[in-house]
Amino acid sequence: MTECPECAATVANHDLILGEVFPCPDCGTELEVLATEPFAIQPAPTEAEDWGE
Amino acid sequence: MKAAIVGGSGYTGGELLRLLLGHPEVEVTQVTSDAMAGRPVGRAHPNLRKATSLAFVPRSALVPADVTFVATPHGESRTFVPELLATGGLVIDLSADFRLKDPAQYARYYHVAHPRPDLLAASVLGLPELHREALRTTSLIAVPGCIATATILALRPLAAAGWLGDRTVVVDAKSGSSASGRDAGPAGQHAERSGAMRAYAPAGHRHTAEIEQETGARVALSCHAVEAVRGVLATVHAFVDRPVDDKELWRTYRAAYGAEPFVRIVHETDGLHREPEPKILAGTNFCDLGFASDPADGRVVALGALDNLGKGAAGNAVQCLNVRAGWPETTGLEFLGLHPV
Repeated sequence: MTECPECAATVANHDLILGEVFPCPDCGTELEVLATEPFAIQPAPTEAEDWGE
Repeated sequence: MKAAIVGGSGYTGGELLRLLLGHPEVEVTQVTSDAMAGRPVGRAHPNLRKATSLAFVPRSALVPADVTFVATPHGESRTFVPELLATGGLVIDLSADFRLKDPAQYARYYHVAHPRPDLLAASVLGLPELHREALRTTSLIAVPGCIATATILALRPLAAAGWLGDRTVVVDAKSGSSASGRDAGPAGQHAERSGAMRAYAPAGHRHTAEIEQETGARVALSCHAVEAVRGVLATVHAFVDRPVDDKELWRTYRAAYGAEPFVRIVHETDGLHREPEPKILAGTNFCDLGFASDPADGRVVALGALDNLGKGAAGNAVQCLNVRAGWPETTGLEFLGLHPV
């Protein structure tokens, strides 16, 4: 269990893997798994305008 | 449980009837309308045609039921609710006649002395999020107004946190045309309503009294008519006495409403619908609440959105009945809304 860095919601690790991106169940922020043990997350990088160019 | 609706030909009465016809624990026995007595209820509410064989009856033919919903214009129910209460049943009044506790406030906003101030004291405001325990035992429930409901639910956590001091809170509310009722007069005509963004009560709206009563805050309320049939959006501008960030707001609103079945906290970081929007709440009993902090101005913006006929009136009344009867609170109110709509 850890806390969403945006809204402080409790976020549990349900079979998430390293690097996986998932939405916070409360605020919808895209979160990236930094570590599974201990569980750590951060807001996922947002797509820059020139991505895919 | 047998239920009657007094004043059932209006929009609120129609919404009540729609919800109660689908309620597994309720049988609607009578719907009154003096103007439409003898005509099938589907004549006033075409969405209900063939859903029931009920026809309107005059109020003089009303037979006491286990619960009587009153959906008459303000100023009428105070004259006959005492008789209904004397029959021993539960009364759920959707008008403004029993919402205010203070008779002086009632006289100030409704320009007449209340004939039964004892019933003002005895009634319970029909807002389960604030008065759930008192609702379980009362015989008179006064359902709050639509703008009041959206504003109270949005503002109350900020007031309860003690962040407001004695500063006035500014509330800017927009509402759809059905909030004016079936007999809205010129305000409801297409030529007047289409394209409207009209300030119909820039100051002095009656719901101010309900909001102040339930939040303890000093409120300056401005109300606008917009081009929608259903919906209320209340935008609350609260000036707080210390910086409050999003995380603290999330925690505060979660603590207030995290377990509530019909209050959803909506403050998302991505997507089109990041904050509450009444459009997608049509026909539901949800009140969606959002917020944003504006530290540069010491301001917190809180948003409350609902369907004025749903959580703002009939849906909330049915939720109150569920609480009073001890049924699951969501009974008959499970509709999730439509999208797109």
